[in-house]
Amino acid sequence: MDTLVRIEDVSKVYPRVHKPRERLQAFISLLFGKEPAHGAKVLSNINLDVVRGQSLGIIGENGAGKSTLLKVLTGVIQPTKGSVTVHAKIAAMLELGAGFQPDFSGMDNVRMKASLMGLSAQELDERLDEILAFADIGEYIHEPVKHYSSGMVVRLGFAVITACRPDLLITDEVLAVGDESFQKKCIRWIQQYLEEGGTLLLVSHSMYVVQKLCQKALWVHAGGIEQYGDVFPVTQAYLAWHEKRNAKEKELQVKQSGDGAYYRIDHFTLADGNSEHPPTFAMGENLDIELQIFSPDDRPPVGVVGVVRADGTPVYGVVSDNEGAAPIKLADNLYRFRLRLSDIALLPGSYNLSAHSMDPEGMRVFDNRQIAFKISGDTKEVGYIRLPHSWLD
Amino acid sequence: MTLGKKKKFEWVFFQNLVLRQIRQDYLENITGFAWLILQPLMLLAVYAFVFSTIFKARIPEAEDIGFVPYLAIAFWPWTAFSEAILRANNSITANAALIGKVAFATEQIPLASVTATFIMHLIGYLAVLIVLQLMGTDIHWLFLLLVLPVIFLMWVFACGISLFASAIQVFVRDLAQILPPLMTFWFFTTPILYSSSYLPQSIQKLAQWNPMAWFIARLRELLLFGEMNFDYKSLLIVLFIVVFAWMSLRFFRRFSGHFEDFL
Repeated sequence: MDTLVRIEDVSKVYPRVHKPRERLQAFISLLFGKEPAHGAKVLSNINLDVVRGQSLGIIGENGAGKSTLLKVLTGVIQPTKGSVTVHAKIAAMLELGAGFQPDFSGMDNVRMKASLMGLSAQELDERLDEILAFADIGEYIHEPVKHYSSGMVVRLGFAVITACRPDLLITDEVLAVGDESFQKKCIRWIQQYLEEGGTLLLVSHSMYVVQKLCQKALWVHAGGIEQYGDVFPVTQAYLAWHEKRNAKEKELQVKQSGDGAYYRIDHFTLADGNSEHPPTFAMGENLDIELQIFSPDDRPPVGVVGVVRADGTPVYGVVSDNEGAAPIKLADNLYRFRLRLSDIALLPGSYNLSAHSMDPEGMRVFDNRQIAFKISGDTKEVGYIRLPHSWLD
Repeated sequence: MTLGKKKKFEWVFFQNLVLRQIRQDYLENITGFAWLILQPLMLLAVYAFVFSTIFKARIPEAEDIGFVPYLAIAFWPWTAFSEAILRANNSITANAALIGKVAFATEQIPLASVTATFIMHLIGYLAVLIVLQLMGTDIHWLFLLLVLPVIFLMWVFACGISLFASAIQVFVRDLAQILPPLMTFWFFTTPILYSSSYLPQSIQKLAQWNPMAWFIARLRELLLFGEMNFDYKSLLIVLFIVVFAWMSLRFFRRFSGHFEDFL
């Protein structure tokens, strides 16, 4: 097999560069052939072979080290440890801008970039029409690149690459910027390029694109290779990992207090007016509510009870500690509130009874429960609530 | 370590860089090109006034040539040299966008900057020589053929210094502040406004090893006096400049792989 790029045991540590002193120290250590003082470690011990004809998708969360890996691969940065061997003409679109100089016109930048990729002036002249047609940005080609939209920059950058016919094409999440039709154009071009034996390295957060274009996938996580193999199992594992992490995050949000415990609602009931479902009350009846809250540190929690319209409009609510109401301790770590909404003045309709549990300081909301109920009755009044009133002479 | 395919010096790219630099620095505004001639001309006028009218400076060995042509012959090449270094010093940081995105031999950037400045000032120099001739100074045109290699050597020297400076500038940003006064110091210690015979004997010994003094002396000899004085010392200077340029390139390459981390 024909290996285009071989990465052996590559690590990359970005040096500390913020203070002038650190920069000077880095300069002196480099002068004596030593590595500068270490800062953030981005890649550790990566081994990878890119074989001719292969299409490899690189996936991973933000900050996993994907872009740094590509930069090392293309030779833009030097790895701190390990070696990178390249035997190919590489064309790379690393991040936005693609190395364009903002003050110069698109045409100038095309000329610059093409010559950088080894195209002679004559070859460029021959392919210029092709490039302009692919980019399809019209007269903007004579404008400075700083006036381009990000989509136009990508169009132009990709157009130059198509003209250079590289052995290895590397793109770093840039296709996502183009509009729908340009993305399709790029994907068609890449597919054709792959059919003709081209090699592709693609970073993308779109599993769809990765699965469509790549045979293999590399999952980079925290600077290392988490998984490498055929595209489907790897992308699926990656997605599964994301789902799991999202679930974990949700749990974390509620378990913010104590040792993973929190003020949770154990029991929330509305004494039935009758046995209908949802419980239905006539106007003027009493609503008897019971709320039991689990307190992990056995301090009396704060309870909130409110009435919300079925469409989510809040109608009324009370907070226990604002009114000096203390819960009764039922058992260890368990407190109970009882609340009566008497002579209920809600107008007929569907409502939700909503309860929240809060910490003893009444600062943070931990849990939420709702019970749907109905108010029945015949009245031509409008709105949510009956205000005491009388018509005067 | 990145092995295998080495970052090549791309000729077409280099030409583009030089052309672009010229456009950016000199042709961006309509008067840019005029200023290229006017600015040194005005400075020349200032120096000529201060030194020949106020200080009544005399150049014993060039009594019949006059102070202004004597100064002008040296002043343009110096301006090219000094401006080339000061411009190239910032060239790496100015091209950060390119360096972070594309892998290429980065030394092309300062070299292109120096080359662009030299090309433009060489045009200015030719214009000045023609003006001097028209004003009655006898320019030895035939020796222009020898002046070109001398200026080429000066270009090599400027490239060497620029490679050193631009690489250091990436790490030590203060260099941009230190360099201009250093160049001014160099200007005044090089016999441009005066003849080297004015220097005390003890300093003269030392000053003859100033490559710029050697360049200036050769240019004056060739163009004003039609003389050729190349001796063993010239050989040493040439050798020194070649070794210096080679070392500066090695120095630059030691750092160039790490530029991206510090830009």
